[in-house]
Amino acid sequence: MANNQCSACVDLKFPCRPEYVGVARLAILGVASRMRFSYDDVEDIRLAVGEACTTSVEWAERNGKADTDIMLHSEIGEDSLVIDIFDQAGERKDDGRENESDQEPENIGALLITLLVDEVEVVPHDEGTHVRMVKHARQR
Amino acid sequence: MNFKMETHSIESEPPVIELEGEVDVYTAPQLKQQMINLLESGAKELIVDLTKVDYLDSTALGVLIGGLKRMREREGNMVLVCPSPRILRVFEITGLDKIFEIYHSLEDANESMGKESG
Repeated sequence: MANNQCSACVDLKFPCRPEYVGVARLAILGVASRMRFSYDDVEDIRLAVGEACTTSVEWAERNGKADTDIMLHSEIGEDSLVIDIFDQAGERKDDGRENESDQEPENIGALLITLLVDEVEVVPHDEGTHVRMVKHARQR
Repeated sequence: MNFKMETHSIESEPPVIELEGEVDVYTAPQLKQQMINLLESGAKELIVDLTKVDYLDSTALGVLIGGLKRMREREGNMVLVCPSPRILRVFEITGLDKIFEIYHSLEDANESMGKESG
């Protein structure tokens, strides 16, 4: 990830636990606010990052990996923001376990990310998952 | 963490859970527990007031969906108060604005509940 060319990069490493997801949201809010994004776009980015980190936290809890970290890497480009989120939360393998009525959030989270950013890619990475999201600044 | 939750119960009116701040993966379990408490105490109607909420994620949506399901299983109902366009947008883009009854004010929500039970 360090090989990507960008005008500026901001990295954040934080524990893969629920109480730190808000820290990631605050950090990306600060990054996106420095760019040519509209207020709504900044909010979209904040929510998308929150959803991606929440999914990591949920898988970490499910896989007994809550003692791992999440790495958030953001690349501030001229017209776009690229956000990479790497977790070590283990494999995202559905074991078919029922989780009462709270089974939906993961699907809603994935749907939200798709709707809120322009590009999203989710791939296995080492001991976890890499989520790449790209948001383009629109001409105003 | 910027989160507060208060429950108001006035006789003859449905209980109101008033939320403030960020409802996310960290704080939504508190909302879920409060809903369970109200259900166990026999509540069949519930208003969740999101007026002072400035962030709401899929975990919170999941808890609200769970609450609505449980209320409807008891032939009851749960409605939301959400005047904030930003929070309302989360419901709209996920299509959940068609699942939930959402009102702009607590007065409107109370009035709708009164009509249903009356």
